[in-house]
Amino acid sequence: MNPLGLLVILLSLAVSLMLTMLPLPDWAAIYRPDFMALVLIYWSLALPTRIGLWVAFVCGLFVDVTSGGLLGQHALALVVILFINLNVHQRIRVMSLPHQALYVLALLLLDQVLVLMVEGMIGRHPPFTAYIGAPLIGMLLWPWIFLLLRHLRRRVHLA
Amino acid sequence: MKNIFQPARGTLLPVLLFVFLAVSLMFIDHRSRNLEPLRVGISVLIAPLRQLVSLPPQAGAWVLQWFQTQQSLIDENEALRDRERLLNARLQKMAVLSAENARLRSLLGSARKVADTVIVAELLRVDQNPYRQLILLNKGSLDGLREGQAVIDDFGIMGQIIHVTPNSATVKLISDPEHAIPVQFVRGGARSVAFGNGSTDELELRFLPATADIEPGDELVSSGLGGRFPAGYPVATIVSVELDEIQGFKSARARPRARLDRSREVLVIKTPVAPLPSEQPREGSAPAPETDTDATQEPAR
Repeated sequence: MNPLGLLVILLSLAVSLMLTMLPLPDWAAIYRPDFMALVLIYWSLALPTRIGLWVAFVCGLFVDVTSGGLLGQHALALVVILFINLNVHQRIRVMSLPHQALYVLALLLLDQVLVLMVEGMIGRHPPFTAYIGAPLIGMLLWPWIFLLLRHLRRRVHLA
Repeated sequence: MKNIFQPARGTLLPVLLFVFLAVSLMFIDHRSRNLEPLRVGISVLIAPLRQLVSLPPQAGAWVLQWFQTQQSLIDENEALRDRERLLNARLQKMAVLSAENARLRSLLGSARKVADTVIVAELLRVDQNPYRQLILLNKGSLDGLREGQAVIDDFGIMGQIIHVTPNSATVKLISDPEHAIPVQFVRGGARSVAFGNGSTDELELRFLPATADIEPGDELVSSGLGGRFPAGYPVATIVSVELDEIQGFKSARARPRARLDRSREVLVIKTPVAPLPSEQPREGSAPAPETDTDATQEPAR
């Protein structure tokens, strides 16, 4: 992997982490999509041999520390959705963007359910809208994230 | 020949390994504090990102300051002077009262309450888990912050420190659904526990005796039981009281005195903290809160 490409990947992960902690008003905070999941899904679709499960695990730990949750909460969810993604990436790559967005919605819902399930197990019960809202917004954002990251990837000649 | 149309399956073994690892991490993190070093390490790595994220609001404040007119500054100065005069007048009375208090206490033979030393810290404007009530401070263990120290603003108790890194600290607010603070009624002196329920303007008091003399407007202060929070700081004001006829208990709702969602600058009280229950067996007998004297110096501010 060329160093410029590595830099772009790291930078996109850092930006998604910053979006995760960007201050939002209280009512909007529960609709914040999982940016880290969106960016990881893109990179694992584009470079399935290089962005593996351990990347998802490490990124998940970083998200856990930024969000002040239990260590391993997001790591678990990201590892699971990336595993699914790695298995079907060849079929997803050739889909049109709207179809891809639906697939991403499914992954984000699973991600959300896994994270909030742990949240519920240790005694906090998130409202129902929390399960639906954030993945829906993530789905709407997917085409733009996809186009932006693909543009960047082609600029730095990452295959 | 290799079939290029064969799907490149992620194999099952690694994912099971990672899932197992994540679940055991969660388990350990929930039950013990052994993972603090890992958390601190990652926290230090993302500290620059946190600074970057909280920069725009700070910059906004600077720009506002820049464009403040002289007249508004003069007005503010005037108002602050008035306030200081008022506070000084109150302090005069306080001095007499605290001297009297000390004298009476020495007559009773009970320990004199030492004045608390504090550290001033600022909030970092970053969001965390939306289902918990956490805030992040811009000072950490290098400035003398420790786990368990109480955090107040100029109106009352805000919460306690739960994680410390070298230059930041996470505070759990008293309104967090997992948080409970031992309190005492100023009028009547009855003791209770105030639970957070996840909204920043409400605390709950459950299972008060049906005969308890409680009215809306009653003040709650920290009782100091449990050794976490220093005694005598304002916590909340009772808003409403309900009597559960069937169970025979009263429950009450209270509004926190501290401005949990608006304070920008907070004070961390540096009194020594009793160890967490999970730490006690390791340290043998738990030291009494008063005996430990690791207070270093008064902060310059």
